Amino acid sequence: MRKILSVISFLIASSAAFAQGAHDFKLNEVYVVTPACCQGDSASATCDKQASLVDEYGQAASWIEIENTSYSTHDIRNCFLTINPAVLDKTMSAPEREKLMSLIPAGDPRTSISAKQRITFFADGKPNRGTLHLNFTLPANEAFTIYLFDGNAVDLLDSVHVEALPAASGYARLDDGKWQVLEADKVTPNAPNVAYSNDKIKEFKEKDPHGIAMTLMCMGVVFSCLVLLFVFFHIFGWAMNRAAMLARVRAIRAIHDQASRVVEMAKQGTTETKGVDMETYTAVIGLALHEYFGGTHDLESGILTINQTTSTWADKSHELRVTPQHHQAN
Amino acid sequence: MMLLESVSTMDFIGSKLLDFLTYTGFANVEWANIIMIAVGAFFIWLAIAKDFEPLLLIPIGLGIILGNIPFKDAGLEIGLYEDNSVLNIFYQGVRLGWYPPLVFLGIGAMTDFSALIANPKLMLIGAAAQFGIFGAYMVALALGFEPNQAAGIAIIGGADGPTAIFLSSKLSPNLMGAIAVCAYSYMALVPVIQPGIMKLLTTKKQRLIKMKPARQVSQTEKMLFPIVGLLITTFIVPSGLPLLGMLFFGNLLKESTKTTRLAKTAGSALNDIVVMLLGLTVGCSTQASEFLTWHTIFIFIIGACAFVVATASGVIFVHIMNLFLPKSQKINPLIGNAGVSAVPMAARISQNEGLKADSHNYLLMHAMGPNVAGVIGSAVAAGVLLGFLS
Repeated sequence: MRKILSVISFLIASSAAFAQGAHDFKLNEVYVVTPACCQGDSASATCDKQASLVDEYGQAASWIEIENTSYSTHDIRNCFLTINPAVLDKTMSAPEREKLMSLIPAGDPRTSISAKQRITFFADGKPNRGTLHLNFTLPANEAFTIYLFDGNAVDLLDSVHVEALPAASGYARLDDGKWQVLEADKVTPNAPNVAYSNDKIKEFKEKDPHGIAMTLMCMGVVFSCLVLLFVFFHIFGWAMNRAAMLARVRAIRAIHDQASRVVEMAKQGTTETKGVDMETYTAVIGLALHEYFGGTHDLESGILTINQTTSTWADKSHELRVTPQHHQAN
Repeated sequence: MMLLESVSTMDFIGSKLLDFLTYTGFANVEWANIIMIAVGAFFIWLAIAKDFEPLLLIPIGLGIILGNIPFKDAGLEIGLYEDNSVLNIFYQGVRLGWYPPLVFLGIGAMTDFSALIANPKLMLIGAAAQFGIFGAYMVALALGFEPNQAAGIAIIGGADGPTAIFLSSKLSPNLMGAIAVCAYSYMALVPVIQPGIMKLLTTKKQRLIKMKPARQVSQTEKMLFPIVGLLITTFIVPSGLPLLGMLFFGNLLKESTKTTRLAKTAGSALNDIVVMLLGLTVGCSTQASEFLTWHTIFIFIIGACAFVVATASGVIFVHIMNLFLPKSQKINPLIGNAGVSAVPMAARISQNEGLKADSHNYLLMHAMGPNVAGVIGSAVAAGVLLGFLS
C-alpha cells in the first residue's frame, strides 16, 4: 500500500512539473518576409532589405520567437508548431495531428531555454536544415494563426492570430499580453520585446521618497503574520489546556466512582475480607484518597534529596594496594 | 667561457627573483590593505580577548585579512573575485544566497519555540522590534541611497546576519560585504548597545516585574508550530520562502521526534561548516578597494541607528502592551530588547539586566519568546522588501 501511494504521489508530482514547464512557453514575436525569400531567392536585394535575422546559411526567412516566461530552465523539445487550423479538429488522433505539424526535435542543446529567455525558429519550410527550421512558411499579406502544441500533440500551449502582415514586418507580444505590429527595424529577435527596467524601484523612489509608505506596508505584513500565529496558538493552547483539564477531571471522577462503589460494596458486606479482592480494593481506595488529597500534580516539588549510597568509589578496600605487603616484625 | 656561463646563470636567477618579488605582497601593498588587515586583527582580538561572538568574528576577522593580502593580478586564480578560484567557489554560496537558508536550517533545528507557544502574545514584541529595519530604511533614503540599497542596508536592523546577506545579495550585491560585516559586528556588540537603551526606557519598578512561569507545552503543539508557522508566513510572504521554509523545516526535524539524527546534523556539523564558510567568505569580500568607501561609513552609521531603534521599539511596545494587560499578566519590559533576532544574545541581555535589578528574577525563558519571534519577523520583513523591490 505504501509503495502504491509513493508511486501515485511521484506520478502526480512529475506530471505537475511537466505541465508547469510546457505551459510556460509563450509565442512572443513573429516576423514575415515575402515567400520568395524563403524559396531560394534569399540572396536578392529585396530579401536583403527584409532580413531582420538570417539563419545559419545566411538566408533571410520568416521566423517565430518563443519565450520561456518562467524563472526556471525548460526544454521545448518534442513540442509542435503549426499554422494549419485542421489540428484543432478534436476528432483527429494524435498521430494524425503530428503529420500536420512541425516537430521540434530532441537532442539539440539549443532547445533548452533558460529563465526568461527566447528561442527563434525559421519558418522557411526546410526542416532538413536543422533543429531551428520548421516545415512551413508564414504567408505575407494573409491572416494566419500559429499554434504551439505540447509533446502529446493534443494540449494546446499557446496560439496567436496574426492579421495580414505586409512583408518585412513583425508582430510582437508586449508586457500586458497585447500584440503590436512592428516595422522591420523595430523587431527584436532573441531579445525582450520591451526594454527591461526595474520600475518598482523607480516607483518607490518617486512616490515614497521618505520610506513612510514602505514602513507602513511592511510593518503591516510583519504584524499580520505574527498576529495570525498568535491567534492560532492562543486558541490552540487554550483548547489543549481545556482538553488536559477535562481528561484530569474524567480521571478523578472515575477514581471517585470506583472508590464509592468499593465503599458501597464494603457496606453491603459483599466483598471478601481477605485474598486478592481485599488487596485490590485496598489499593483502589488508597489511590483514590491519595488523588483526592492532591496527589495529582504537574509540577515537582523541586526539592532534591540526596541519600547517601555506598558505591565502589567509597569502598575502603579500593584504597589498598592490590597485594598488600605486611611488614613482619623481626 | 665558464665565467660567462655563470654570469648568465646569475642574471637569470636575478631576473627571476626580481620577477618573483613583483608577485609578493610587499610589492603590491597599499595603505588600504594595511588598514583592512588591522580591522581584521581587531575583530579577532574582540573575539578572543573580549569573547564577542567568537564563532562569527574569528572567521570574519581572518577572512578580512585573507581578502586583503595584496597580490599581483596575474590570473593565478587565487582572489575571491577571480573566476574558478577556490575562494570564488566558496563565495558563490554568499553571492547566490544559499548559505543563509542553510544557516536558517540549523537555527530551526536548534531552536525551541516552547516559550513562544506557551505565551503567544510575545510574538507581537518580535514584530514590533522590526521597526528598527524600517527606521534604518528611512535614514538610508535620507542619506541618498536608492530604495533597493536602502532596503539591503536597513535589514541590518533585524540583527540577523544570514537574513542581511540573503537580502543584500538580491537587492544590493555591491554593498553586501559592508552590510554583512556591519550586521555581524553589531550583533557581536549587542551586549554593549542594548543595556543602556533598556535602562533608559524603564523604571526600577518596571524592571522588577516578575512574570508567571510559562505553561508546559505539549509535543503536539511543538510539532504543529513549524507546519502552521510555515503555512501562515509563506502564504502571506512567499518571497520569504527560502529563509522561512528552511527555518521551519529545521524545527520540524527537531520536533517530529523521528528525525533526531537529521536535526542534530543540521544544528551542529552542517551549521558549523556553513558558518565557517560564510564568515570567511564574507570577510574576504571586504577587499579594501570595495570596502573603504563613504558608503561603508554610512552603512555603519545606519546600522547603529537600526539597532537602537529596534531595541527601543521592542521595549516601548512592551510598555504599550502592559497598558492593556491585567496586573497578574504584566510583561517585564526588559524582554522587549529580545525582539531583535540575535538569538540567544539578546535574550541573555534580558536575563542579565533582570538579574541586576532582582537577583531572583529569571527572564531568560520569557525573553526567548520574542527572540525567536524576531527571527521569524526579520525573515518576513526581508521577504516583504524583496517582494516590493526585486
